[in-house]
Amino acid sequence: MKQHLQRQSGVANVDVSLIDGKVEITPKEDGKIEPAQLLKATYDSGVSVAELDMTAAGKLLKDTSGNLVLQLSPNQSFVLAPNELSKGLEPLVDSSTVVSVRGQLYKKPAGKQKKADVAAPLKLLILEVQKKE
Amino acid sequence: MNRKHLALLLLAGSIFVPQLQAQIKHVEMRVEGMT
Repeated sequence: MKQHLQRQSGVANVDVSLIDGKVEITPKEDGKIEPAQLLKATYDSGVSVAELDMTAAGKLLKDTSGNLVLQLSPNQSFVLAPNELSKGLEPLVDSSTVVSVRGQLYKKPAGKQKKADVAAPLKLLILEVQKKE
Repeated sequence: MNRKHLALLLLAGSIFVPQLQAQIKHVEMRVEGMT
């Protein structure tokens, strides 16, 4: 699995802890990493993902459907799952403020589902707002 | 210190202060079935 992940574009380093099943992925300096690809690559290597968290910085905007979005680059953005923390960020929509957040992008559905739908679009559930600049 | 020196000092300071860059900084997964 480690080799599989290290082959993904934008990945600088992968640390695997066999004891607690934790995998830490450090992106390259340009930060051009695709979490959905990492999720798929992990499943493809025969390991199932229980949870995927990430720390990212970006600007806030609203998409055409009115969803709050964290935009990292013109080609990469994540729709935010609504919660109290995302509501608190609404005043920063369309401002030049860059916000750093830690959030959950994926959680395996509860129950005995055979395989999770990793192809579904990932929504970012903000767990912590770390910095605003 | 005149204004020119002060402006240069401010410019240099803004270059060296780390800016919050829009990007993914870290990814962490919890996996199951790993041997």
